[in-house]
Amino acid sequence: MTSAVPLGAFIAVSALLFFIGLGGVLVRRNAVVILMCVELMLNAANLAFVAFSRRFGLVDERGSVFVVFVFVVAAAEVAVGLAIILAAYRNRPTVDVDEIQRMKG
Amino acid sequence: MLQLIEPFMFGLLTVSILGAGLAVVLAPRITTSALAMAFAFLNVAGMFVLLGAETVAAFQVLIYVGAITVLILYGVMFTPQQPRAYGLFFQGQTPWGALLAALVALPVVIVAFTFVDAGVALEPGNDLRPLGTSVFRDFAFPFEVASLLLLAAMIGAIALVRREREIEEPPGAPHDPQRRGPRR
Repeated sequence: MTSAVPLGAFIAVSALLFFIGLGGVLVRRNAVVILMCVELMLNAANLAFVAFSRRFGLVDERGSVFVVFVFVVAAAEVAVGLAIILAAYRNRPTVDVDEIQRMKG
Repeated sequence: MLQLIEPFMFGLLTVSILGAGLAVVLAPRITTSALAMAFAFLNVAGMFVLLGAETVAAFQVLIYVGAITVLILYGVMFTPQQPRAYGLFFQGQTPWGALLAALVALPVVIVAFTFVDAGVALEPGNDLRPLGTSVFRDFAFPFEVASLLLLAAMIGAIALVRREREIEEPPGAPHDPQRRGPRR
């Protein structure tokens, strides 16, 4: 049974989403939006993981397990990232990454 | 007719994912960015269903659309900002950053199309059993390490945002409303 949509199309969507996220990290000022863009990049990686594990070469259904670990790392990352942003915001009321220059409290 | 449904759904999901991703980067309101991000996550879950990985799609909806979006919205809520001009949302290096991302994206996307399917495809669905056996058998140790990571992240997040208690007033001292504990 072959699928109507080729594997390459899924990988291309994943790559495009990744680079949209990368562009967001590079150009936005707001630290919370940068965190959102990092989440988009992680999700693009998830899409590639699932696509390869379901379709590529010697298909191995276990490839999806890495997605679970990415979920864990993403949850930890967003929790600690938001905590750092909130601590910096409490120190000085800004979330602009080019204005947060001092890490001293 | 039935063969056309899958490419149609793929195109719909692709347009939604890329549009929502661009909206996250370009939206003039940060709440719009957060909700566009949730929409992108939901459509990625649709992609997982299209690939036949329903369990991962369910996790995606639970964790990303449910938990992480709420967390990000809390972050948006706790960091209010003055309204400002749209141009000030972006860094000074914006043209260079966008150019760099586009230049790297171009070859990667071209290479992405060179991957071809295996001769045999997995039957869609039924991915819970291989996922469960690999998490609890082959990857049991990384799974435990991941739980430690979550615990460390939770403690770290609480420690970072914890407010210091106000210093105990010595008995008999006049109450000073200006006096606060050390702020962190």
